[in-house]
Amino acid sequence: MAATTLRSVTTYDLKLAAPLALGFLVFFVTPLVILLALSFQADPQGSRYGLTQYVHFLADRFSLGVLGSTLWLGVKVTALTLLLGYPVAWLHQRAPGWGKGVIMLLVLLPLLTSVVVRTFAWVVILGRQGIINAALGGLGLIDAPLKLLYTDSGVVMALAQVQMPLMVLPLITALSRIDPNLADASSVLGAGHWRTFRKVTLPLSLPGIIAGCLLTYAAAITAFITQSLIGGGQMLFMPMYIYQQASTLQNWPFAAAISIIFLAAVLVVVSVFTVLGRLSRGYTNA
Amino acid sequence: MLLTRRNLMQTALTLGAMHAFPGLTWAQARPLVFATFTGSWEEAHKAVLVPAFRKATGNADMVLDPMLSVDQIAKVTAAKNNPPIDVMLHDPGPALQAVAQGLVEPYPVEKSAYYKDLIPAAQEPTGPAPFFQVVGLTYNPETVKTPPTSWADLWKPEFKGRVGITNLNSTLGTGFMVELAKMHGGSESNIDPAFKAIEALRPSLAAVAANPGQLATLFQQGQIDISPGNFNAIQILKARGVPVEFVAPKEGAIAFKTTIHIVKNSPNKELAFKLIEAALSPEVQATLMEEPYLIVPTNTKVAMKGEIAKALAKDHAEIASKFVFQDWAKINEQRAAWIERFNREIRV
Repeated sequence: MAATTLRSVTTYDLKLAAPLALGFLVFFVTPLVILLALSFQADPQGSRYGLTQYVHFLADRFSLGVLGSTLWLGVKVTALTLLLGYPVAWLHQRAPGWGKGVIMLLVLLPLLTSVVVRTFAWVVILGRQGIINAALGGLGLIDAPLKLLYTDSGVVMALAQVQMPLMVLPLITALSRIDPNLADASSVLGAGHWRTFRKVTLPLSLPGIIAGCLLTYAAAITAFITQSLIGGGQMLFMPMYIYQQASTLQNWPFAAAISIIFLAAVLVVVSVFTVLGRLSRGYTNA
Repeated sequence: MLLTRRNLMQTALTLGAMHAFPGLTWAQARPLVFATFTGSWEEAHKAVLVPAFRKATGNADMVLDPMLSVDQIAKVTAAKNNPPIDVMLHDPGPALQAVAQGLVEPYPVEKSAYYKDLIPAAQEPTGPAPFFQVVGLTYNPETVKTPPTSWADLWKPEFKGRVGITNLNSTLGTGFMVELAKMHGGSESNIDPAFKAIEALRPSLAAVAANPGQLATLFQQGQIDISPGNFNAIQILKARGVPVEFVAPKEGAIAFKTTIHIVKNSPNKELAFKLIEAALSPEVQATLMEEPYLIVPTNTKVAMKGEIAKALAKDHAEIASKFVFQDWAKINEQRAAWIERFNREIRV
């Protein structure tokens, strides 16, 4: 048989992806195009087209403030999640077989309950008569209950817990790919624990850190339910702003423009992460 | 039963034909879809209104599809020629929007047996109001020893840091602001005094909830002791054992008409009319007035009883004198600007 008739076993026909591509086209690209078209309407009736809605948003300090505080909220949540999630992933890596199972179960457990339920649990924890205030009051550390619910730090705490699995799972994957001999080699060569972590473990886990940060960030800034239940009515973030314009005011063009601007802002952040990811891959392979 | 290829094909073809030409089946093209509100409304309608409708129509097929007013409007707007909903239920603000956007069929008033018995405020030719929602003051009787009597009590120094309000996304929040404006010399078209009043209330505010439902959570958590509140929502909380009480302030409780509409181009107009007739009928309204629903009736043939007579109004004449109805056509004109102003100015 001639060798030319044999098909390559490592490349696949792109046609196999056609159903997925079609699905994306119909359910993702089309609505996005409609959204984009809607955002260029100058008024809700669609009598004129133009950049009115974008000018309205970008020339308005209040709207820009909402965008800024949403993006900043994502940074805070991501940082806190990384800080709390990394030790968990590290512990998972070091734990014996049964310990790994337990840690994995604990990480995955929150994913099995709805975000609404988890968020309501935080309402109970952070409330005036909640667990934190009751404990601090019982210990005599505070006289009057602290205000935790409807505050910025409350939102950050709750979001960090709610999104934690998105950070820990990529970290576990990244850490488990690191050859354990590398740490031994490092200590044989005279590096202490701290130096080994800094020079070996941390750089090698960078792809996991970046993947985790990306997921957490995207989830945190768009978390409509947690933001509004813990943040209340006076802390306005982008998802609530879009909802308010689209639903309460029926101002779809402006809501569409806000959505597109939000999408663009998130894409910028995501591409920064992606560039970092590419750099880190070069770093770890070097 | 034996499944042969032949009778499977037959069944499939018949079903297909029935679907393609609904006229063939001689019955409804699809069940009547009534978009009620979620939560207690859905429960009340499932338990009382749906059975009454079935009885009146000889078990016509219908489904409840509970959703918010704004979602109803969005869904009908998206498919104006073949709407997925036959009957809509609306708060006053969204009702005017739906009518303005031409989504609503005028109610066949001359055919209706009950329309003329409704109190005048409920007689809307675009869609009558079978129910009221009433907003007054809600407080926690364990911490508030002297029951409040006026909206002005919210500003009392003893409630510093204990007051909850909602933002203007909700009908409740907007109605409350209009009432504040009226108390301080403003009106539906002059909201300025209300913003000044809220500014003065700021030290007292413990929370600005994103929606009225959150106020319930805040009472349960002891986060707030007093707030404007919806009579029906409070009854549900009370039934669950949360320490809350409702009072109608002496300025008058704010009443919102909940109107019910036949959707334009609905394929089930006749059934839609029958459902609305059932909702207006004294039998249904009398049952819905009882525990645990406590929905304020609009049909004058229903005598006020129970908790409603005690807390709100003992007859329909008292509704007219004690309830405050607001001009939502005027409110809608400026509501967008108010929401924007509230976003900007009210930061706790």
